[in-house]
Amino acid sequence: MCGIVGYIGRRDATPVLIQGLKRLEYRGYDSFGIATVGSAIEVYKKTGRISEGESGAVDLHGCTGIGHTRWATHGEPNDINAHPHTDCTGRIAVVHNGVIENYGELKRQLQGRGHTFQSETDTEVIVHLIEEHYDGDLLSAVSASLPLLKGSYAILAIAEDTQQIVAARDASPLVLGVGDAEVFAASDMTPLLEYTERVIYLEDGDVADLTHDHFAIYHGGLKVERPVELINWCVEDTRRGGFAHYMLKEIYEQPQSFYETTRASINDHVRGMVMETGEITLVACGTSYHTALIFKYLAESLCNIPVRVEMGSEFKYFTPPLHGLVIAVSQSGETADTIAALKMAKARNCPTLAITNMQGSTVTRVADETLLMRAGPEIGVAATKSYTAQLAALMQIVNLRCEGAFDDTLSHAHLAIGDVLLQDVREAVTLCSKAEHVFFVGRGAFYPVSMEGALKMKEISYVHAEGYAAGELKHGPFALLTAETPVVAICTPGPTYGVMASNIKEMKARKAPVIALGVAGDTELAEIVDIFIPIPNTHLLVQVLTASIALQLLAYHTACALQRDVDKPRNLAKSVTVE
Amino acid sequence: MQAVILAAGEGGRLRPLTRSKPKAMLPVANRPIIDYVIDALLENGIRDIVVVVGYRKEEVIRHLNRLDAPIQVVVQERQIGTADALRAAESEITDNFLVLPGDNYINAESIARIRGERNAMLVAEHPNPSNFGVVVIRNGLVREIIEKPEEAPTFTVSTGVYSFTPDVFSYLQTTEIPDALAAMIASGRRIRAIPADDWQDAIYPWDLLKLNSRMLKWITPEIGGTVDASVIRRGTVHIGTGTTVGPNTVIYGPVTIGNNCNIGPNCVIMPDVSIGDRVVLEPFTYVADSLIMSDVTIGSHSRIVSAVFGQGCILADHTTTYPSASFIEVGGRVQKEEFGAVLGDGVRAAPFTTFKNCIAGNSVTIEGGKTVVGLIEDGTRVM
Repeated sequence: MCGIVGYIGRRDATPVLIQGLKRLEYRGYDSFGIATVGSAIEVYKKTGRISEGESGAVDLHGCTGIGHTRWATHGEPNDINAHPHTDCTGRIAVVHNGVIENYGELKRQLQGRGHTFQSETDTEVIVHLIEEHYDGDLLSAVSASLPLLKGSYAILAIAEDTQQIVAARDASPLVLGVGDAEVFAASDMTPLLEYTERVIYLEDGDVADLTHDHFAIYHGGLKVERPVELINWCVEDTRRGGFAHYMLKEIYEQPQSFYETTRASINDHVRGMVMETGEITLVACGTSYHTALIFKYLAESLCNIPVRVEMGSEFKYFTPPLHGLVIAVSQSGETADTIAALKMAKARNCPTLAITNMQGSTVTRVADETLLMRAGPEIGVAATKSYTAQLAALMQIVNLRCEGAFDDTLSHAHLAIGDVLLQDVREAVTLCSKAEHVFFVGRGAFYPVSMEGALKMKEISYVHAEGYAAGELKHGPFALLTAETPVVAICTPGPTYGVMASNIKEMKARKAPVIALGVAGDTELAEIVDIFIPIPNTHLLVQVLTASIALQLLAYHTACALQRDVDKPRNLAKSVTVE
Repeated sequence: MQAVILAAGEGGRLRPLTRSKPKAMLPVANRPIIDYVIDALLENGIRDIVVVVGYRKEEVIRHLNRLDAPIQVVVQERQIGTADALRAAESEITDNFLVLPGDNYINAESIARIRGERNAMLVAEHPNPSNFGVVVIRNGLVREIIEKPEEAPTFTVSTGVYSFTPDVFSYLQTTEIPDALAAMIASGRRIRAIPADDWQDAIYPWDLLKLNSRMLKWITPEIGGTVDASVIRRGTVHIGTGTTVGPNTVIYGPVTIGNNCNIGPNCVIMPDVSIGDRVVLEPFTYVADSLIMSDVTIGSHSRIVSAVFGQGCILADHTTTYPSASFIEVGGRVQKEEFGAVLGDGVRAAPFTTFKNCIAGNSVTIEGGKTVVGLIEDGTRVM
């Protein structure tokens, strides 16, 4: 969601900040702004996207500055509500990611004391609070203001007469990048990759004082040391190269991200956790929820362990009796709902494991142990390679419980993934791009695969799509079938084949055009359906992957045919960091 | 000086190996052919490189993104010819430039010879000129290019490497570059023919073996991974990281082995062998003069000689490739060439299979210990 970036050092701050914000674009935003310390505080903010030549158009001065991309929560997206926000005197500027829950009350108090508010945002209370405490020492002014705030925040603050940035975080992500006589701060490491590979992950409650050649971190008023860690990502991974979209690039990186993730060794603590537990609960949101559901089907049928899957956002509304291992699945590791659910599980003394793509993210700090996906940075808003990497991590857990029964299957899965990427889905794309509604149906583990296929279709092509368990179709949705609603059915050999095939015939009888995913060489199925998309005939674990990827290709090419902004779908943010 | 590398074509005569990647991406000595071309350009200080991609472009783009050089990519939507491919790059061209095929080996010295020229082409002598554009030269100037003639008047062929000025685009009337050259010659332009120093193409799958043994001369010795102390190595041997070489294995270079392979114990790898990543050679297997791509598994007691194996082949124990020569029709021409086997991606063979001068398509399955000969179509199941 919102992204923040700060720079202090020897370069002109404006281009570094604009470039950094562009790297954070993928988090989703509707307005942006930067502020620098020149001869005074200079602010530039604007509604809309950052254009190519933006840094040339921004005429701000100084080597110290902060920037922000805003995904509106409090107050509509406009130039006034965009960050940075300044105090009454214009001497202090602040950017903020998170939500201040008690801002209404604080705002009334501050207004009572004579402060004038310009925007409708919750953030503006922070800068007025700092103003009240400011007497030339920004660090102590920020530190004094923080205890008054309730909610989540990552804050960067600058003031007029000092070359310094004060950073603070609580329950919102913030990392520092340490360069050569320059220091960076950002919501995640993607903007830093170009300048440094040394990062510091701040802890909740940390306040950092940054100058160009020095940084100090305080926690509860005491100076603390935080380890400097090396990032193993490289900046090439965040470039689109010759691909039309990041999403396409990431779709084609899936053989590698799957392979790297299954090859990564699992430490003994995680191994112990997985082997000892009598049941597993997964909490996840969005695409991660679908991977968790797939895991449920696989783990329950293949390793005979009870698995429950809960949406992070609903978890807190019931008080489930929790026993055994709780796994939180989140690409960004910052999904607020998932983290809240994980904290509940911890409070009940359950062992907790995080599966995430972001080393050092919040979820890794909350959970007892972490299983890191090796997907590399994912920039496209629609999850693709992180989805397969999540499945890789979860399948590794299945394999562990089955004592390595699927070693061979998993080590060759990347070949089947590579195979399905060669698949031509144009015919199906023609059908879907003309449709108003598309249904995705499957049975067993392919039911969540259908849900994921529908989600991809919805989020990037804006074609209304729903995923159903094939058996549920007749309990209502069948009424919606017409000759204009294509159905995408997944029908592969196994216990579900016969009944899926008869479901398909029922749909055909209602004149619905059927696109079927089946294994290569299944001529019988190819004959009864309108369009047949073959996937390699392999083990169930791999079929789940290849079917999902065929559906990604279908959604991607449909979105392209409809000329959608694939990498930045409307209204969506990459990681949902507010509840 | 700029350079345009043409890497859009499939290389249909190299099927079944070009199923998942274009010819320019086929690995030779464990590096895609296009890397050798890019290296030769960089050695000449030419850094402004445009690559035209088309067939299986994602594979090429992903690879180019990983290189250090800042490479511009343009897409040729339909692969209808070299001139059309060049036109795709027109918007990127501002200066005199070189055109190079991305799927032929060319060395830096050859490029040094042509880089100063305004309109010129690199030519080479070839024993089978009728697979190429045959060039008729008079006084060091190109008189005529005859494309793939039945009867070639000379042994001098075009290497497909040209040096042009930006106004060449006005001569690109048809879909092929040689037609544009003919038009330039007709309008009185002088096109110099410059002999290449070192150049090699692979037209047919078995040509890859020659190219492979040639490229293996340039590998650097390196031992990553875990190599047992009892392993005997001679010559230049490159072993990637994460690879395990078991006891009593003998490796005679030049041999290159990729990452995360599992070799031996008791294997013999003779000269001129390239082995990709994640390859498994089970005990007591012998490999010589072969190009084995990634994810291949070869069972124990196998004898692999003069073979090209595509990605992900799984061959059970006692597999033999037996070099011999018989008549095979490839790309409309009947060929007779000695080699053991060319296997596409994902070929599976049961124990005791013998491949004898065999080209097996992608995903062919051989059941039962058979001797298979000649051409087998993609997806065939040999019972």
